[in-house]
Formats: sequence, structure tokens, C-alpha cells
Amino acid sequence: MAGPLEGYRVVELAEGVSGPYTAMALGDAGADVIKIEPAAGDRARGWGPPRQGDDSAVFLSLNRNKRAISLDLATPDGVAIARRLLASADVAVVDAGRLPDPSLASEPASRLNPALVYCAISGYGGTGPWADWPAGELPAQLMAEATASLGRIGEPPVRAGTDMASMYAAIYAVQAICAALLARDDAGGQRIEVSLFGSLLAMRSTLWVALSNPDAWWGFHLDNYIKPPDHGYRCQDGAVYISFARMPRERLDALLADLKMEWVRDHPDFRLLAIDTAGGAGRYSHIVRPLWEQAFRAFPAEEVMAIVERHGGLAFPMHDYAALVNDPQARHLGIVQSIDQPGVGPMSVIAPPWQFSDTPAELRLPAPRLGEHGRAILAEVGFPADVADGYIRQGTVRA
Amino acid sequence: MPGPLAGIRVFDLTMWMVGPWASMQLGAMGADVIHIEQPGVDWSTLGAGVPPTINGTSIGYITWNMNKRGLFLDLKSPEDRATALELLKTCDVFLINMRTGVAGRLGLDYETVAQINPGIVYCSVTGWGESGPMAERPGADVQMQYFSGFWSTNGAPGGEREVYRHFTQIDATTGNYAAQAILMALLARKRTGRGQRIEIAMLRAAAALQTARIAEYLATGEVAQPLGSAAFATAPDQAFLCEDQQYIGVSVTSEPEWHAFCAALERPELVDDPRFATNIERVSRRDELAALLTPLFAAKPQYYWMMRLNRAGVPCGYPLRIEQLKHHRQVTENDYLVDVETSAWGQVMTGGPPWRFSRTPARWSGTPAPGEHTGDILDELPQRRPTPAALPAGD
Repeated sequence: MAGPLEGYRVVELAEGVSGPYTAMALGDAGADVIKIEPAAGDRARGWGPPRQGDDSAVFLSLNRNKRAISLDLATPDGVAIARRLLASADVAVVDAGRLPDPSLASEPASRLNPALVYCAISGYGGTGPWADWPAGELPAQLMAEATASLGRIGEPPVRAGTDMASMYAAIYAVQAICAALLARDDAGGQRIEVSLFGSLLAMRSTLWVALSNPDAWWGFHLDNYIKPPDHGYRCQDGAVYISFARMPRERLDALLADLKMEWVRDHPDFRLLAIDTAGGAGRYSHIVRPLWEQAFRAFPAEEVMAIVERHGGLAFPMHDYAALVNDPQARHLGIVQSIDQPGVGPMSVIAPPWQFSDTPAELRLPAPRLGEHGRAILAEVGFPADVADGYIRQGTVRA
Repeated sequence: MPGPLAGIRVFDLTMWMVGPWASMQLGAMGADVIHIEQPGVDWSTLGAGVPPTINGTSIGYITWNMNKRGLFLDLKSPEDRATALELLKTCDVFLINMRTGVAGRLGLDYETVAQINPGIVYCSVTGWGESGPMAERPGADVQMQYFSGFWSTNGAPGGEREVYRHFTQIDATTGNYAAQAILMALLARKRTGRGQRIEIAMLRAAAALQTARIAEYLATGEVAQPLGSAAFATAPDQAFLCEDQQYIGVSVTSEPEWHAFCAALERPELVDDPRFATNIERVSRRDELAALLTPLFAAKPQYYWMMRLNRAGVPCGYPLRIEQLKHHRQVTENDYLVDVETSAWGQVMTGGPPWRFSRTPARWSGTPAPGEHTGDILDELPQRRPTPAALPAGD
């Protein structure tokens, strides 16, 4: 059985991270995705290092399960081909801020294809004073105060290494597209909008409610931004996560004995260590962490985790990517899968996040070369072979 | 027009954050989300009691259960279980985020539910997946951020890597992927006429969110070192200190933007500098490039650079705080932060709908008190089975 979105056609007119990840998710779920690239290609092809073959690792990771056509969108013929593709599609995924031609905007596209679900992804939203500002991942993280949760006050800003703004916007875009397709029988096609900035704000809603009218000022939703950086709990050979649900006196005694840290009873902050058992999320974590670490340095991480769990706590390893992809649970779940990427060979990729019992997501197609499917796509939307040849000869279509 | 999911009904057997976050999205899109709580629940334990509280209730519960109706059901009582099955006949979606095995013990495993309602989209969310060596372990956002490497690409240059200090991001991401999967399965149902079972694991979701960063590791076998505000794959793409001691973040991610950037800095000769000819060269010489640009940015104030780079079409931004954002026109005109009324906790500020639909608008509405709509929901059932346990507790 094919994926849940089998039978839907998606046209992607986007670059970088957000739009391509949106369209890839739809492709992973079985949709037929056609990626329109400008003559120079998606900018992410030129990112990195790291490079894999002729493309960046980032590009290959965000563009599987698509076919590609490359158009010179500075020419009327190129725009006309793009419009023909939009006319054939159920869904358009478009970078609102990088529209190559006004006739590809949502209104003319909807006149062309009233059933089209047109998803515009922007930096800051469809209206407001910043609507036309050029946007990107770092600007969105800074403007939405997402960087407040990293670094040290007074020091240079630190970005989230994951492209949170772009990925969150893509995840919301997929939701909106699917919802609009569900409503299409009644409502027809429509324009939907998501933005990097708005998605970051939505994802931190818990913080905004916490700031509304709290009974008291503490807890990680309120005061974590004024704490120092959290690097886990360092042991002899790496860091771990620990927490305890509660710490009765006798359990604490036994734990301190096993960790050879009875000395901590004489420390002025011992009272806080005994009551604040929530680990990195705790109220006094920044004060009690160094005390735990002083003891943990005498043990390998494995042993610290065993001791903590033996005394009723929770302990987890703090993985980097090397440890994550080799972790037995990650391997059991098949989080890393392999796809045969031409020019690279068997390539490891991260699997789609959903497990469907009847309509499984599949890795069907490797990321396309620039213009790889141009000729086939032109034929599918009704251009005769001689016309297609003409477009390719004159450079309107790169194939 | 109502929201895009008008007519869809969700049986929301969820707790803590991941499940409630997923159903909250569906509710904002117009689905009728019926959030189940045990009668007599202690309000101070809702939302796992995550601090802070408003009127004694965790802001977690208040945030994560908007756009829903509240129903009391004691699923361990035969009467309420029968009510649940009646209700399930009218539902399109069953959502649960309890540990593996709990649904079976409640008699609400997929087979049972699908037998009475073959069209049901049944979504089960767990932390570590439903099998494997860690399947039985508890899993929440904090552990998942540490375990999944979400921390491992953050940090000051040359310093220690650090955790993102807002624990909710993997919870919300997982909930969002669950909502995606539910919507996809509803679309598949239009084609096949049948429901199906979906499994969502937080660990899978955390990895999917980091697709591009993990791909860079998989390509090289090298663990990335933290770069502060700088991007891994593009340059110049980082923050610089300006003359007025304020920061500006600039993000150059294409060759035309590099040209525009050089022009805006009045350093057109950089375009022809072979050291920085392509993004690949610039990333490879990121430190050298930053050293060259740092004094240029330090010579003019932040606002100068904002005007200059915006005019040139080069993405840039500056750090803002919530006090500056909450009344900002960009936020209010797009409804990105909204004030909503709740039945028991007054007016609260939260994120508005992250999507805008031109024809089927989404709406954000307040959080029900636990069980608040029990009477209404039971009255709507074709075969009403009133039970003492199902009546709201207290006055």
C-alpha cells in the first residue's frame, strides 16, 4: 500500500530549508512532488561543507522523494511552464518572499486552478511592518527571542544549531496543507500562510502562558533564561541527564554513600541539593549541579547512571549524534535508513517520523539532480516533444 | 466558513504535553476535541504540575488544552467505559499518549476501537517507541533533548555545548508530527474508506526535527563543534557587534545575497576575492571572513545596518525580548500572540494559530476546566448513559 497522500500532486517553488522540508514530508507521505528550481538551482545545493557528490549534505537530506525541473523564471516561457505545473497541482509550496514572477502569486494561481491549496511560507507573516523584510533562520530566531534560551546574558547571542524556525514553519505548513486538502470538497482551494517567526512564537506558547499571571516567579518556563548554560552533568567520560521524582532521607543517604559524596552535607547549599531533585529542569539546578558534578567526576557515566537508577532516579546518556545513531534504541526504531543516492552511493538518512499501519511512508526517490526530470515532467503536463526540445535548446528548461 | 476540520471529532485520551499539544492543533482547525479527564482529578497535578501555576493549576495544562471541550470519564468503571464506546462510535480520531500497554488495560486498544468504528484514525504516542530496549522507560521533553543530541549543536564558539533552556520543544514537535500524521490518515481514509493505526515516538520526532544537522554528521562522521551564532552550512551567517554595542544577525545564503551584502558594506572588491568566491569557500574560511567583517560592523550602529541590509535585500535581524514583542505590530497584526479567556484561570497570553487559512479560518479559544462540558457531551450522545461518576465533581 502506498503512502497516505498517494494521488496528490505537489509543486514546490521554494529553496533552502523550510519549503523543501515541507514538500519532502508530503513526498515521504506518498505525494508526487515536483520541485521547480531556478536555473542556478536551489541555493542549498551550494551550501556546506559538508558536501556529498555535487550537492550539500543539507540539500540531499531535504529533497528526497521529489522530481525536479529547472526553469529560467526570468523568461515568459519559463513562467508559463511554471503556471502549467501549478494548474496541474493539488498543492503549491512557495517561498512568499522570493516569488520570481507576480503571475505565480496565490491570486493568479487560484484563478488558474481554483482547487489549488497554495501554501505561502514567509519570514514574518503575510501582513505587518516586517512582511516584506528579507528573512532567514538566524534573523527569525533573534527576532522571536528564541535565542534567549541559549548562551549567557551579556555575551554574544547563540543560535539553536537546529534550524528551528525553518523546520517548525515547515511542520506547521504540512499540517495546514493536509487540513486544507481535507476541507477542499466544501471550501475549494485556498491560500494558507505560515511564517518562520510566527511558528517560533507558537512553539513557545507555554512560556507566554507562564508569563501571563503566574502565582509565583520560578520554574524553567520563567527563570531558565537567566541561568547559566546547561551542559548536562559531567562525569569522568561524558555527561548524563539525571533527575529524581522525590528523595526520602534514607534514599538520599544511600545515594550519597554510593557516590562517595558525604562531604556535601557540610556544604552551605546541601539543603537545596536535597530538595531540588528535578535535574536540569530544577529550580536550583544551576546551584546544585556543580555539587553533583564534583562527585560524578570520579565515575564513568555508565556507573553514575547505574547508581542513580539504583536509588530510584532517572538517568539517561547525553548523546551527541555519533552516540545517538549508534544507540540500541535508535537502531531498533530504524531512525537511520539508507537510500541509494546517485553520485554518492548508499547514503544514510533520517527516517520520516510517522508509522502508519496501512499506508507506510517510504523512501522512494533519492534527491534529484538539477533538472533531472525536466523532459518527463514537460511531457506529463502536455508539452509535445518538439516543444520541449525547443525549451531545452533555448535554455528555458535546463535538462 | 468554519475551520478546515469542522465535522471531525477527536477522542482525546491524553495527558502531560505531547498528546494535548497535538489535539490542541486539531481543535484550532475546527475539530471537536473532547478531552478526557478522570472525575475527581486533583487540579494541582494536571499538566504534570509543571511550574509555574495560575490559581494553583500548572500553566502546562492551561496552555496545552485550549480549543477543546472537557469530559469526565472514569474508564475503570463499566458504565463510563460503555459511555466511552458510545462516544467512540461518533469519533473520527482516537488519540492517546500513555505508556505502551495502558490502552489495552483500559480495553481501548486499536483492535477494540476499530471493531466498533472501522473508520477510526487511532494515534498512539510514546516516548521511545512501542518496542525495543527502552520502550518501557518514561520519556519527556527534558530527557529527549539530552538523549537526541538536540543540545549538541548549540554553544559559544570553542566552548562547551549546551542544552536549549526551554523544555517543551521536543514535546511540541512530537505533538505537531502526530497532528500531521492524523491529518494524513484522514486524507487516506477519503481514498480507502478505512481508518488505521499510527505510532508516533518522541525519539523519532526529535531525530526528524534535526534531519539536516544529523545528515551533516552522517556525511562526515564528525561531530559538529558549536559556532555561537554562526550557521553550519552558510557564511556569512552570524551575529556581529555594532558600534552601539547592540548585535545584528546577518544571513547570507546565496551568491546574489553575497553580492548584495558586499555592496551594502561598501566593500565591492570582496565579491572578486577568490578566498570568498563561493559559499563553500566562505564556510571553509568562516573565521577569516568573520575577522574581516567584525571591524566593519563595529563602525556603525545596529539601526544603520538594519536599514542598509534591508534595503539591499540581505536577511538580517536583532535580538528582541518578549516585552518588546507582545505589543509589536508585527505580532498583533498577524495574531501571533493572542489573549484568550479561560474558564478558571482568567485571561492568558499564548501563541495564536500558526497557520492562516484564507477560506476556513482557524480559531484559538480558551481551556476548559476538567470535565466542564460533561453534561453537554453526554446529552449529545444518541444513547445517553448518565452515570454518577460522569457528573462534574464539586459544586
